Amino acid sequence: MYLIKEPLSPSSAISLSSIVGCGTRSFFHSPPSTLHELPPPPSLSPPTTTATSATMPTSSAATLSSDPILDRLSSDDSEIKLIAIREVKNHIIGNRTKKLFYIKLGAVPAVAAALADSDSNSDSDFNLIVQSVAALGSFACGVDAGVSAVLEAGAFPHLIGLLSSSNDKVVDAAARSLRMIYQSKLAPKYDFFQRDNIEFLLSLLRSENENLTGLGAGIVIHSCETSAEQNILCYTGALEKLTTLLSGSLSQRDSSLESLAAIIKNNPEAICKFVDLHSGRALSSITELMKDRYPRTRLLACMCLICVKNSSSSYLQDIGIKTKLVNILLELLDDSGQVGDEASFAFSSLIAEKEDLQKLAFDANAIDKFHSVLQKHPLHPKRLEGVFLALADLCSKLECCRSSFLSSQVLNLVVDALTHDDASVRTAACICLRSVSRSIKNLSAGRFMSERIVFLLVRLLSDLSTSVQVASLGAISNIVVDFLPHKSTFMQSGGVKELVQLTKAMDSSLRVNAVRALRNMLFQTDKMCKEVIFVELTASSMASLICDPEPSVQEQALALVRNFVDGCVYSVEYAFAEDGIILDAVGRQLRKSPTVEVGIQGLYALSNIASGNEFHKDAVMQLLFPQAENRSQSFFNQFLQSNDNHLRTAAIWVIINLTFPESPGAFGRIVNLRSFGIVSQIKKMFNDSCMDVKFRARFALAQIITFGDS
Amino acid sequence: MSSLFWRPAGNEATQAMAVSKKVMTREEWEKKLNDVKIRKEDMNTLVMNFLVTEGYVEAAEKFLKESGTEPAMDLATITDRMAVKKAVQNGNVEDAIEKVNDLNPEILDTNPQLFFHLQQQRMIELIRNGKIEEALEFAQEELAPRGEENQSFLEELERTVALLAFEDVSNCPLRDLLDISQRVKTASEVNAAILTSQSHEKDPKLPSLLKMLIWAQNQLDEKAAYPRINDLSKATLEDPAV
Repeated sequence: MYLIKEPLSPSSAISLSSIVGCGTRSFFHSPPSTLHELPPPPSLSPPTTTATSATMPTSSAATLSSDPILDRLSSDDSEIKLIAIREVKNHIIGNRTKKLFYIKLGAVPAVAAALADSDSNSDSDFNLIVQSVAALGSFACGVDAGVSAVLEAGAFPHLIGLLSSSNDKVVDAAARSLRMIYQSKLAPKYDFFQRDNIEFLLSLLRSENENLTGLGAGIVIHSCETSAEQNILCYTGALEKLTTLLSGSLSQRDSSLESLAAIIKNNPEAICKFVDLHSGRALSSITELMKDRYPRTRLLACMCLICVKNSSSSYLQDIGIKTKLVNILLELLDDSGQVGDEASFAFSSLIAEKEDLQKLAFDANAIDKFHSVLQKHPLHPKRLEGVFLALADLCSKLECCRSSFLSSQVLNLVVDALTHDDASVRTAACICLRSVSRSIKNLSAGRFMSERIVFLLVRLLSDLSTSVQVASLGAISNIVVDFLPHKSTFMQSGGVKELVQLTKAMDSSLRVNAVRALRNMLFQTDKMCKEVIFVELTASSMASLICDPEPSVQEQALALVRNFVDGCVYSVEYAFAEDGIILDAVGRQLRKSPTVEVGIQGLYALSNIASGNEFHKDAVMQLLFPQAENRSQSFFNQFLQSNDNHLRTAAIWVIINLTFPESPGAFGRIVNLRSFGIVSQIKKMFNDSCMDVKFRARFALAQIITFGDS
Repeated sequence: MSSLFWRPAGNEATQAMAVSKKVMTREEWEKKLNDVKIRKEDMNTLVMNFLVTEGYVEAAEKFLKESGTEPAMDLATITDRMAVKKAVQNGNVEDAIEKVNDLNPEILDTNPQLFFHLQQQRMIELIRNGKIEEALEFAQEELAPRGEENQSFLEELERTVALLAFEDVSNCPLRDLLDISQRVKTASEVNAAILTSQSHEKDPKLPSLLKMLIWAQNQLDEKAAYPRINDLSKATLEDPAV
């Protein structure tokens, strides 16, 4: 098809090349790649605020030390002290506001001091120890400011010490409080590589006491992250011990499932070890737990199985188990609590990037299910975030999912969430929009270019949260690839100005996404649109984006240039503005032996420029093959000899446009190309292993040969 | 206790309608039942499970002594659990909260719904005792922040606070909150949470078995006429209506 059309006129040939190479690339390929580049959604509790409140106790303690409760907490009379500690404990349990109040008051160091002063061997101090340990644990439960206050007060080693107390109640209380601390990211990282630590962990896991085994599992869940840590836990017996807890009590089963997931996640070696344990029964007992009575256990079992399935090619790959996982997770969405909130995240990890699972989920009416979840009110931000991300994954590949999404009223709910108070929800809503707007059919119908959507998205470009900005850029990148002249909606909303501002951001993820959005906006657009963007962006900024320190930004900037100069001759002129500053930058970047992606975009940009008039073609010749250069070692030859099919294709396209037979200077250029060894190199590609390269090479040779073969 | 058992209604009607059903006489039926073997230990375990879950400590102690059946949990913890339950049933919610916290501080720290219900019950008790100012202050200090943290509590919170608006609470549309059944509801919620924290099932097994019996009988009704058990407390086989 290209071969028929291309010879007709140089510019149409080039348009085609740029559609195939550039337009479609930016459209079909770059949106999915955006998904990879996005940072994970930020956690709900922003560490910055907790950090400030954590530092408060010291200062406020000084000013408020006259508070009677503080006096009583540090009273010399142990009876008064005990009553005060118990009173604080009973006030704060379950009560976040009270926890924060007492933390600010400076109660944590006072309680920690009472614990440190007590004598763990004395019977009379026993109650004081239990009460203060429980109070410290409650401060740490669910409140990061409490965790850091407890750690700063130096209570951690005391709590560890109490685990070896001879009194069971003391051991229970200490284990519970430590478990609370380990549930927070702020807890100190446990070093599994120290022999003593591993021994201690194993002794916890071997204990008869549920609180101690629970603490052991909690430590693994908190601190096992790298594959080296996973492996050491596999080979020292921790994995085996945790597996036996699967047949333990309710809480042991749950913590076992969660810690096993931490050990085997993304680690095929650990998975093999795990599957072989107890002659293969471990995996089947987890499969059984998928059907457990308790929703939390079902969820954790699913998450564990997803870890196995995702990083192994030999286990859990049959359709039966996949369908089961999809159905169970969809059912768990009905849980109104935390389990329901987390189920959608687990669902995402199951279907992300996997078309077969997305199809299974579609067949299980997942879109309807999520729609009905969204209709319940009020929804916790975590729930909204999870549902939007799950919908984003569902719609990332399959058009049937996107159609179903768009035919229900989900789109309105997602758009509403663009103004949600919670930044994670706004981010998730943008990610969802980006995924759905990959639908070419609906995109070309201008479905997403409504004033409301565009207005809200543009407003998010100046959001305080970087992840919201990046996600919004992602959505905009897709919806500006518009086949109809709807782009004016976007331009009228002031979007271009915002995008250009973001190309100058310090954060490279903002720069790369902003440039990508502009690049997509330039895809097959008209003169007016190009003019607006060019004036706003300026040639010198484009040149500096091409030379950005980040290769990903360079790639997008070159793709942007490529779309700018695509089309009629007036388009090509953009490359020559400000004394050709853009063209120079392209040439400089190509000579620096760039990454494959950067090279491809740079070559296509040159190919488009070479489709212009004689002046343009000669400028490209001069850039690639300067007279003064050593003719036997042209850097351009390296592109023709690259291992990458796309790069070779792009390089040949440049040659095709430089040798277009009807242009007057073609003969002279061919003579030059011969002297640089390019023609002989292309001859070697006559039977290239890549079909695309082979066809282009033959096409180029056919053009060259019209002027004779020597 | 009687609320644990329920009696299906309308089985006579279904029996009358079926014509071609198989008929089992009482003798045949009893013979079949005699062939089923039940282990004594299983019976004892079920009884012990019932006593322990429902909190009959003394009975459980006696039963342990007489039958040698080991309870699945430390009997001392049952006493503690019953003390909590009783405190709620008597309206001493603050006392109950302190007792739960001594038993295991995690229960109320990780169960916001239960914590909210206990606080709500506390407020109800204040209103019941006419301590209106204290109730108002309590609502602002304790309940309002819970509603902010979790929107799903808001509706219940509003209903409870609305009690304050009525002069005569015993005759207002929200009087169900003041009913003793509200205390029982809260008490059993606490009871269940404590049991779960002890890794114990929150419901005894016996009622589930009886539910299953009734379900099985209902299934069988469609296929056969047989001596049915209608009164669960007596477990007498009734002659099939032919």
